[in-house]
Amino acid sequence: MIGRLTSIAGAVFMDAVRQRVFYVVVFFGAALALAIPSLPTYGVGVAVGSYREVALALTFTGALVLTLSIAATRVPGEVDRRTVYNVLAKPVARLDYIVGTWLGVAAVSAAAITGFTAIEQLVGLIRYQEAMWQLWQGALAIWLEMGVLAAFAIAVSTLSGPVVVVVSTLTMLFIGHSRDGVLGSSPSLARSLYPSLDAFNVINPVAHGSGIGSTVVVGMLLAFTGWAGVLLILGSLGFQRRDL
Amino acid sequence: MNGPAAPAILVSGARKVYQPAPWSASRTAVEDVSIEVPQGAIHGLLGPNGAGKTTTLKMLLGLVLPTAGSFEVLGKPSRVPANRAALGFLPEQPYFPSQLTAIQVMRLYARLAGVSSESRAARSSELLERVGLERHGHARLASFSRGMLQRLGIAQALVGSPSVVILDEPASGLDPVGQRDVRNLMLDLKAAGTTVLLSSHQLSEVEAVCDRVSILDRGRLAAEGRLDDLLNIAGRTSVRVSGLPEGLPAAVSGMTDDVAVSGGVWVFSVRDDQVRSVVDVIDDAGGRLLAVAPKRESLEDYFTRLLERPAPEAEVAR
Repeated sequence: MIGRLTSIAGAVFMDAVRQRVFYVVVFFGAALALAIPSLPTYGVGVAVGSYREVALALTFTGALVLTLSIAATRVPGEVDRRTVYNVLAKPVARLDYIVGTWLGVAAVSAAAITGFTAIEQLVGLIRYQEAMWQLWQGALAIWLEMGVLAAFAIAVSTLSGPVVVVVSTLTMLFIGHSRDGVLGSSPSLARSLYPSLDAFNVINPVAHGSGIGSTVVVGMLLAFTGWAGVLLILGSLGFQRRDL
Repeated sequence: MNGPAAPAILVSGARKVYQPAPWSASRTAVEDVSIEVPQGAIHGLLGPNGAGKTTTLKMLLGLVLPTAGSFEVLGKPSRVPANRAALGFLPEQPYFPSQLTAIQVMRLYARLAGVSSESRAARSSELLERVGLERHGHARLASFSRGMLQRLGIAQALVGSPSVVILDEPASGLDPVGQRDVRNLMLDLKAAGTTVLLSSHQLSEVEAVCDRVSILDRGRLAAEGRLDDLLNIAGRTSVRVSGLPEGLPAAVSGMTDDVAVSGGVWVFSVRDDQVRSVVDVIDDAGGRLLAVAPKRESLEDYFTRLLERPAPEAEVAR
């Protein structure tokens, strides 16, 4: 089973990183990283913190564009072009196909986030003479959140087309970061059941603090595993019933 | 004591009703179709567009959820993914991830088909050579022509050395040489003991290779059997003669049907019991007998006749 998953993931990765969109996003990400220090908010005494915050936002945006563009189109595209027949007519379960596709998207996302973060760290080092290792903690949080969003997008894409997938994933992202705004910050049952993505929000400790501790990392990993697992199972159940 | 070998393919009572939404009208694509293909045979699946051929194949392959029916390959339910290890499938007009190379695609499918890591590379190269793509192994598929993709599709269908191969329009997009290659490939597979289920519009291809055929029409099985038995017209014999510049002798004219003449060759049909006397008259008139064979309807005519029927009733020829 592992071999099948990695094969499908490898094909998704190889196919995606040879698409022009991958290089366009990475190129513009690098160009924007170089331009961060020229933003007008600099010069108020928090230049390094602001740089880290904008760098995280840039990584998040670039990763989101790439992840969504692949996750929203991969399954519908394979069904439309019927490339999925060559895979599913072999001894491959639909769950394997969905999980393998997700792993491939997560690998593309990891490659892009690694590239963004490396460039941002290099620019930060040159401009501020500071290594900014905590950017990698932010990169991990962003990658984990992209993993959840990719699982959501793939799950929706088993039943629907790319436009619906993108709109619903962005809605999910918005809702996932709106818990405090919707329910307030006091503990409640509704709050604990709210589909929150706040576990991945590490901007403050990474950009303006001294990084995140192991408790936060464990919380992120638990949230990632729970969300992605449930979404992928739902996605494969939906796909199971679908006529191809 | 061993029992009889399980059929290579067994489809029983297949039914598929499409209903896009609970409030929308339903459409029956396949109704009570049963097909049995013995091991080592080449079986044709024929029918006009929309007859239900591809839907039946997809139900067999687990790509479409059947409304009813059972589907087995070598005695095991084919909808269980693990049981499809013995199955190879060429979809109609196959497509592949366009940014991968032919070798990468072959290795991917080899791995998915369960080919061991040691033999994957060799098997991939061997099959690319077999379908005439050995010089294009490292080319991206975005640059492949329609015919090259079709050849690659055939190669990937065979990558797991399957015992049963399902080919949906294998000659589609191929030039005449490619079509001949596919025909020879099917005969090679049969010689090696592989079972082939061939869905095709190329009636000449079906006639050339198939042992038996199932003909679908409007979702139902319209006929099943040997092509000869389905197409031969009972009681009639076809005669071809030449060397009759004055035309057919009067004694023969009264007995013939469907007379056609072209380039000095006469073709006509007579009743079986009149063949001997017709041949004698032709001989006496100085004509040269070219062929005497059971009169056979063309597959095209057979299809036309099928389509003109109000509703299919299965015609079984054994």
